[in-house]
Amino acid sequence: MVLGVVLAVFFLLRLVPGDPARMILGERATPESVAALRSQLGLDQPLLAQLGDFAVSVFTRGDTGTSLVYNVSTRELILQRAPVTLQLVALAVLFSVVIAVPLAVVAARHKDKLVDHLVRIIPTVGLGMPTFWVGLLLIILFAVTLKWFPVGGIGTTPWDPLRSLVLPALSVSLALTPPLVRSLRSELLEVFSADFVTTLRAARIPERRVLFVHILRNAALPTLTLLGVNVSYLIGGTLVVEQVFGINGLGSLLFSAISNRDFPVVQGVALFCALSVVMISLLLDAAVYRLDPRMRRA
Amino acid sequence: MTDPRPLRPRRALTVAALAVAGLIVLSACSTGTASTGTTADAEPTAGGTITLGRVASVTSFDLNNEITANNAFAIDKVFEPLVAFDADGKIIPWLASEWTISEDGLTYAFTLRDGVTFSDGTELTAADVVFSLERHLTVGGPLPLDAPIGSIVADGDTGVTITLTEAYTPFLAELSGFQNGIFPADFQGKSETDFFADPIGTGPFVVSEWDPAGDLTFAANENYWESGQPYIDTLVYKLIADDTQLTQQLKAGQINAIDEVNSADVESLKSSADITVETVGSWEIEQMFMNTTNTYFGDRNVRRAIALALDRDGITQATTFGTAEVANSLIPPTIASSANDEGYALEFDVDAAKAELAKSAYPDGFTATLLIASGNSLRAQEAQIIQESLSKIGITIEIESIDIAAFRARFFAYDFDAMLNSGQSDYPDPDALVSFQADPAGFSKSYWTSYENPDVTALLDEGRTTADGADRDAIYLEIQKILAEDVPYIPLFYPSTLKATSSTVHDLTVLPNGSIRFQDAWISE
Repeated sequence: MVLGVVLAVFFLLRLVPGDPARMILGERATPESVAALRSQLGLDQPLLAQLGDFAVSVFTRGDTGTSLVYNVSTRELILQRAPVTLQLVALAVLFSVVIAVPLAVVAARHKDKLVDHLVRIIPTVGLGMPTFWVGLLLIILFAVTLKWFPVGGIGTTPWDPLRSLVLPALSVSLALTPPLVRSLRSELLEVFSADFVTTLRAARIPERRVLFVHILRNAALPTLTLLGVNVSYLIGGTLVVEQVFGINGLGSLLFSAISNRDFPVVQGVALFCALSVVMISLLLDAAVYRLDPRMRRA
Repeated sequence: MTDPRPLRPRRALTVAALAVAGLIVLSACSTGTASTGTTADAEPTAGGTITLGRVASVTSFDLNNEITANNAFAIDKVFEPLVAFDADGKIIPWLASEWTISEDGLTYAFTLRDGVTFSDGTELTAADVVFSLERHLTVGGPLPLDAPIGSIVADGDTGVTITLTEAYTPFLAELSGFQNGIFPADFQGKSETDFFADPIGTGPFVVSEWDPAGDLTFAANENYWESGQPYIDTLVYKLIADDTQLTQQLKAGQINAIDEVNSADVESLKSSADITVETVGSWEIEQMFMNTTNTYFGDRNVRRAIALALDRDGITQATTFGTAEVANSLIPPTIASSANDEGYALEFDVDAAKAELAKSAYPDGFTATLLIASGNSLRAQEAQIIQESLSKIGITIEIESIDIAAFRARFFAYDFDAMLNSGQSDYPDPDALVSFQADPAGFSKSYWTSYENPDVTALLDEGRTTADGADRDAIYLEIQKILAEDVPYIPLFYPSTLKATSSTVHDLTVLPNGSIRFQDAWISE
């Protein structure tokens, strides 16, 4: 699958109109200088030769090539930009879980009452709002007006990155939370009416323990899987949020690389995303295996 | 089913609430404060850092091989040319303190300024000038040295004589460009790659930290020839990829200068006491270009009808929020010999437009496509206004908006009917702009319009070789008159160069090419 993604990106990039050398030098540069740059960057090589160089680079150096625009190895660029994006995604997941779990529990316990309806409707409305718009609203309210957070960037002191990522992570979690709430709520409802719960209550186990140790653990598994799938989309999908908040992460790297037709960088980020999806799937499988004794017995 | 017993506040909810509250308290403790302006001191104070937010990073210092602004305006902090231009576009002495031009316009003798050293302390000599200019000639590059140079000779250590093979009046203006900066002879023995990775020039700043995909930090050059300057200690070029973020971060006090301002934000920034907006006329001209090889746009009457149908005042007001100047000619008033006030342009008159179209081969109108690059909302609005205006005279315009790389690929292949784009001059001589846009033998073939008029071509050659003065002005005025009559392109407006800073930053010099000089800049408390 990873190979398929990488090959598809490689060929699509070269099929789409747009010349990287012309993008680097702009419209007024002489054709001779553009041709010289194309040659220097190896873009005038036959397609298969380029593919060959690319393969060699990936397998021997773990690098999809030198950025055409920045003249720095793609691997270095990704290593530099990835941490911020991963922090952003991690924080977004944390916020989503912290918001979704209590909401789902409250909704499930008060099924069909007002609070249940509110919990089901409001996040869905949130899902309909475009992320960049939410981001801008959060900036206006919390950064510009209340001045609680910076308006963008990731700052320079050790505390800054955490502060700077709060609003972006909230924007991302707004899209992540609704499906989690819905899924967890419906799983909880199923588990509430399970026999083993009635038995536990009859045995006068404290309600809090019933809820956390038994009910949530059982209800969480499908939701965890859902979370994993959504997080995979996020690794390259933070593009919009990174632009809005001025964060120089993987998303904004991908965005400018596509605009500039910086082939090696687009290929590199695509490869990184594909590998991340695989990794997350594996981690997810491991987590489910650990949480669900039934899997171990099977 | 029995109701569950009511629970005490769930631990998870409490923990979550505490965590969020904690984060909020933490952040409230360390908010940045926007700097407040104080009465400006007349005397510059030394010290401080200017952090300039820009949307693109610096990727190279190899000046002879660069052309785009992201690199050019970093290069011009490190390398300096023999002559420079001031904020009005006038040529002024720089590394050359004086020069003479022979009667026949072929020999230029420059005298180098006393006491100039490179940032590492080595003296600037004529040999460095000869080496630098010859390297540019050898390399060619995207902005080649076009002057017909016969020889460049050092005259002792402090004189350089350049002899041209024929008169070429734009020569000094060309030399004033960043791409003709002076670097040490032989790259001080280093390889080109090594030299440009850690460049040494005579400029006011030296590179101290550089991430090609991120920020660049300059430190003041201790050996700068304007002693005591620059006043600031550090200049940071900070990469902020989104232009809305630039304004946000400036307003919030996270940075104290920005390299571009959305025209929509200008009013609100100007009214803020903490912010100063700097504006200067640019060398850019927003235009509608028409492909003269196209069936419809090849017809001169059609093009004239379109020019008459467009309300350039209205377009300028609506799409630039009054920050740009309406264009009445190709050459902007910031460059010599501009015909902006001569009244050559076809003025907005719908009836005249219809009459003109009636004289053409397509009196009942036609359908054509207007090509634009996506991602620019103001250009999209321009296109819509044009579409609306032309529908009134029977011309149906379809707007095609594609991503910038694809856009360039299209018009470079001459595959367009009409497009919206921006013309630009790289130095303060009318020849640069006019040649690019009206010379069918140039690589763009008259800015991709394929416009060809032998009268204009003859005038172009004459303008290049005529010395500055009334005669030369007359030549360019005549060219602009013909262009206004033939309208292969319609100049719409001249965008202004807009920068904004915190009001504690003083004495920036904003140049018409979009660059900023920081030698005189200082920061007050």
